[in-house]
Amino acid sequence: MEATVSSCKVVEGGGGSSRSRSQFSMQFISNLTDLQELEEVYGRLCAEQNDAESQLEMLVNQQSSIENKMTVLQRMGPNLQLIEGDAEQLSGMISFTCNLAENVSSKVRQLDLAKNRLYQAIQRADDILDLKFCMDGVQTALKNEDYEQAAAHIHRYLSLDKSVIELSRQGKEGSIIDANLNLLQDAEQRLKVIVAEKFSVATKEGDLPQVERFFKIFPLLGLHEEGLSKFSEYLCQQVANKAEENLLLALGTDLSDRRAAVIFADTLTLLFEGIARIVETHQPIVETFYGPGRLFTLIQHLQVECDRQVDKVVDKFIQQRGYHRKFQQVQNSMMRMSATDKIEPRELDPILAEVALMNARSELYLRFIKRRISSDFEVGDSMASEEVRQEHQKSLDNLLNHCLLSRTMQEVIGYYITMEEYFMRETVNKAVTMDTCEKGQLTSSMVDDVFYIVKKCIGRALSGSSIDCLCAMINHSTTVLESDFREVLCNKLRMGFPATTFQDFQRGVTSAVNIMHSSLQQGKFDTKGIESMDEAKLSFLVSLNNVEVCSENIMTLKKTLENDCTKLFSQGFGGEQAHAKIDSCLTDLASVSNKFRDLLQEGLGELNTTAVKPQVKPWINIFLSVSHNIEEEEFNDYEANDPWVQQFIINLEQLMAEFKTGLSPVIYDNLTSLMTSLIAIELEKVVLKSTFSRLGGLQFDKELRSLVAYLTTVTTWTIRDKFARLSQMATILNLERVTEILDYWGPNSGPLTWRLTPAEVRQVLALRMDFRSEDIKRLRL
Amino acid sequence: MLQLVPPVSKNRVLSDFPKWYTPEACLQFKDQFHVQVRAACQQRSTGTIGLKMSKVVVVGDLYVGKTSLINRFCKDVFDRDYKATIGVDFEIERFEIAGIPYNLQIWDTAGQEKFKCITSAYYRGAQVIITVFDLADIQTLEHTRCWLEDAQRENEPSSTLIFLVGTKKDKVSSAQCKHTECDAIRYANEMQAEYWTVSAKTGENVKEFFFRVAALAFEHSVLKELEKGSGPMTQIGTGNLIKVEKDEAENVKGSSQASISCC
Repeated sequence: MEATVSSCKVVEGGGGSSRSRSQFSMQFISNLTDLQELEEVYGRLCAEQNDAESQLEMLVNQQSSIENKMTVLQRMGPNLQLIEGDAEQLSGMISFTCNLAENVSSKVRQLDLAKNRLYQAIQRADDILDLKFCMDGVQTALKNEDYEQAAAHIHRYLSLDKSVIELSRQGKEGSIIDANLNLLQDAEQRLKVIVAEKFSVATKEGDLPQVERFFKIFPLLGLHEEGLSKFSEYLCQQVANKAEENLLLALGTDLSDRRAAVIFADTLTLLFEGIARIVETHQPIVETFYGPGRLFTLIQHLQVECDRQVDKVVDKFIQQRGYHRKFQQVQNSMMRMSATDKIEPRELDPILAEVALMNARSELYLRFIKRRISSDFEVGDSMASEEVRQEHQKSLDNLLNHCLLSRTMQEVIGYYITMEEYFMRETVNKAVTMDTCEKGQLTSSMVDDVFYIVKKCIGRALSGSSIDCLCAMINHSTTVLESDFREVLCNKLRMGFPATTFQDFQRGVTSAVNIMHSSLQQGKFDTKGIESMDEAKLSFLVSLNNVEVCSENIMTLKKTLENDCTKLFSQGFGGEQAHAKIDSCLTDLASVSNKFRDLLQEGLGELNTTAVKPQVKPWINIFLSVSHNIEEEEFNDYEANDPWVQQFIINLEQLMAEFKTGLSPVIYDNLTSLMTSLIAIELEKVVLKSTFSRLGGLQFDKELRSLVAYLTTVTTWTIRDKFARLSQMATILNLERVTEILDYWGPNSGPLTWRLTPAEVRQVLALRMDFRSEDIKRLRL
Repeated sequence: MLQLVPPVSKNRVLSDFPKWYTPEACLQFKDQFHVQVRAACQQRSTGTIGLKMSKVVVVGDLYVGKTSLINRFCKDVFDRDYKATIGVDFEIERFEIAGIPYNLQIWDTAGQEKFKCITSAYYRGAQVIITVFDLADIQTLEHTRCWLEDAQRENEPSSTLIFLVGTKKDKVSSAQCKHTECDAIRYANEMQAEYWTVSAKTGENVKEFFFRVAALAFEHSVLKELEKGSGPMTQIGTGNLIKVEKDEAENVKGSSQASISCC
């Protein structure tokens, strides 16, 4: 049936590609009528048959190998059955093992639980034993007065897990434990009382070993705060006793004593040293028995006593030294300008030194405290949050900035600054009035004196280690130097250099007028005639030197202070802000140096115009009276008897000799520089007013050369540049012909840079009498 | 030190002239920089090489909020806890005004009496004096006069700019504020000061105020510099000499020409 169906399908497919069947159905063939068609179909069928045959053959060939495979398969049959059995057995075994394992592990788990419970039980038993042991121990320890032991037991008890104890009380033996606990608590209370009592007895007797013994017990009883506060109470008492003793000693000091002037500073020092020593010796105990971070509490307590003692000492200081009274006097002296009832600045010197020392000691002490607390906090806060750290930092700052010691010293320093300022200003004034100038000295005494004073005052403020105070004193020094002292020098320079011709002639009338004039200007110049004029000259030169030295001294002072401050900062005083503050103040100070420099330039200019110019100008003008429109004969004559330049040089030498001895090398150099400029300008003027022949030009060239040669020897500045225009003029005046200028001009100028404009060149050319103006005009420059 | 500074932060750049707080008490009404200053800034010829710096001194009674005012502006923080200033503190605030770097050196002084000796040493050379009072405490306003007097004693009156600042606006009602402002404006006019009301807690007007201070101080110092540059500088040194030389040369030229024509 199936076969028919499939064959039907094939037929339906009509001409399907199945190779195993003919493409032609019987029906199709029987319907064929045409021979040709039949033959064709026949042919194809034959071909199909051949195909089929070859396929069949192939299949027959395969038969043996297939049979082989079949036999192999048949042999495998029994083996497969065996495998099936084995697999079943294995599966059974696995499930058995699994069950077994399950059983075992549950047992282990149970065991584990049991073990844990056992441990807990042991722990509890231990705890209870401990408790008992503690109780017994405490009792015996108390009986034996072995308080350390007792405290250790109590400590053990306190560190026991409270819930364990609670649980134990609920057990069978609850009542016994309860009783024990009660006893323990009782003992704890008793111990606390005893320790407190013993401690206070020990403190009263000043028995340090006993005090320390009980101090160590407090933390074991959980009484950290109480222990610290009681202990510091004891320490405070010690501090107070010692301080009072010291103060009494100080008050009784003989006035002739070496340290009498700084006895209060010394007393403060002793107080601070005492506290520092206490901190030093007890810090290890506190750290070991109370843990880190507790030092702050101790020092806080100590600081209260420190403040109290400082207050007493400073009070006595103010009283004995009349500090406030002196301050009042200073204030009054500053208000009133009258010299009569002014307080003598020298009187202030010792007290200022003492205050500086007092402040230095307190700063040192506060820094010590700060360092100790900071490092203690650091150890304690290594794991703490940022917030806690900040909180600690804040409380530390608070302690340092607002303790009475700080506040008292701030007040004392406030007065100090006013008094130091007064001291500086008055002493500077005194130095100015006592100013003398020894012969042969370039500067007068007041410059050295003033800078000695300023340095001393700032140095004292520096030694006080208060940055604010130091800054204030630097500012005051800046003011004193810039306003007061500069004004003094400025006034001296303003008196001017007496304008006289250098030589003795003309001295009569002009000088008298001059003296009158200057005495009128300054009001108190005593007219001693000629000598006073020399004095006035000297005074002007000395003032110039003074100004220069001031300018230099200020820079030196600034540098010294910078170094000193670096040292101070490296010791840990002040922060970043303090550094910036000092820098700013020092910059202000340094700027005063420039103001002195400006003043020096002004003074030099003044000297040049009043003393040098009036003398030099006539000498140069003599040039005009020496004809340069000369012939051979006169030229030779000039050679033998120099008409101008030699005398001019001699005059200059004489003029400058006075300044050379009277001025510092730097200023003298400056002055000669100004003078050479002046000569160059003036000489140019007269040259342009003269007329020249060819030989006259040569003569001028010679004269210029000797002048330049001389000036080069007296200045360190290069003067070639200043005389460049003049030497170019000389070149022009030396030309053979007008057109020869073109050999030097424009593209032919070579290394020479012309300082003269074309118009000026023409102008100079026109000075030569032998040059025709048409030729000059015709020049293309 | 100055060469290595980083550029001025963006919120400290001023290009427009900041306005006053109240027209009833202000130092000037212009809404632009002075013509000369603008020209100088454009040519970058504001004188001194390097950074310009003006010194500002802040004075007033204790607890009026001087430090808070400065901290609000310089660090944009406000600390509720009162911490008395010890001696003086200072801040440098860097600006860029009309393209020119400019610094304010702000000195914050302690208000407590005991520090007066320290603080008064800093008054000298101040270009700007800021007197501060507490709007909620009328007494502090009365004291500003003394503070100004003290600060002015060390300076030439014409060389300083004065500001009067009422702080803690957040603490007073608007009616009370108005009332106190009226008084303060009267004081300001007497002192020839410019008046501002601010609150460091809320930050109200703080930035505007300091910008105004910076702009006015900048203009003031540039003008002074320009004035100085055209003034006494030419009197000393070679400047004068060169000038003489020229004149003389011209004179000589004239005379020589005359002589030539003579011949």
